[in-house]
Amino acid sequence: MSDKTIKLLIIGESGVGKSSLIRRFVENKFDDNHDVTIGMDFKSKVVNIDGIEYKLALWDTAGAERFRSLTPSFYRKALGAVLVYDITNRESLTKLEAWLAELENYSDNPNIATIVVGNKIDQDRVVSREEGLKFARKHRALFLEATAKEDQYVANVFKEIVEKIVTSDDYNMAQAGNTIDVNADGVAAESNCKC
Amino acid sequence: MEEMMETVVPQEDFDRNEQRYLRELELDGHASVEAKFGYAYCLVRCAHKQDIAKGIELLEDLAEHHPEGRRDYLYYLALGEARMKNYSVALNYCKGFLEIEDNPQVRSLQEYIQKRYDKDLKKGMAVAGGAVLVLGGILGLGMALAKNKNRRDK
Repeated sequence: MSDKTIKLLIIGESGVGKSSLIRRFVENKFDDNHDVTIGMDFKSKVVNIDGIEYKLALWDTAGAERFRSLTPSFYRKALGAVLVYDITNRESLTKLEAWLAELENYSDNPNIATIVVGNKIDQDRVVSREEGLKFARKHRALFLEATAKEDQYVANVFKEIVEKIVTSDDYNMAQAGNTIDVNADGVAAESNCKC
Repeated sequence: MEEMMETVVPQEDFDRNEQRYLRELELDGHASVEAKFGYAYCLVRCAHKQDIAKGIELLEDLAEHHPEGRRDYLYYLALGEARMKNYSVALNYCKGFLEIEDNPQVRSLQEYIQKRYDKDLKKGMAVAGGAVLVLGGILGLGMALAKNKNRRDK
């Protein structure tokens, strides 16, 4: 993995549209069938933020109960988590509480960036925008509503969380640390210094 | 797909699932479906072939006795067999899955295995040419040794 790789986890209850958001974002496709994700799936996409290219490694987790906690180590080294709920299903929002606890338990990054996403805004809503926003604020997460089906705000979800990550002190300190390591190893690094 | 295929299960996840399985076996004489599945799920992602083979065995057993979880078992059977480089067996599992349910996750696994399989076939053909020469050499050597032995026995 290059140091410009950003690992993101997509978590939330079964059927909220985690895989659909990823599929829309990476392949610009949507499938009306609900194919329950088996275990874990992986997709990647290169995004450009302020002229710098980052490779997003998107780890799509199964919402199904039987896969939960089987391999929590995959939460490691994640820089961000996208917590998805379905605005037509209130329980999917309340259950995010448990997913957040799981994230806190298993992530090795105490400052992991999080975004709460209310999906399916093309359908009749049960959960108000305010409720979602309140939940996100309570957990100091970013918040957006989107629809994978109609392709609204999907790219924004990933853009916002990546921006939050790459502008964080943690990320920039880690990046600076990498550069020093390279020099310390005696590898001749091309200087980007314009002075 | 590369990441899915090549990522080896972290040791502590493996240990936890193995312990749970062994504990149930010891206490109850048999392990629950979920413990068995958790263990198999880790085994097929191990680096060693013996472990993967053990995982495949467990999954075959689960697929037979627990039809509700069949799609999960088929998927990991395909993944395990592919990691064993048994590509045609793996592709059969993908095909079997897709006959029941069209699924993009399985389709991309299938594509990946097919690519690997084709690559292997090409390499196999190149190697086969060399192998004939090597095999000829070994046979020749064996015959020479046998001859020698015969002579000594006399």
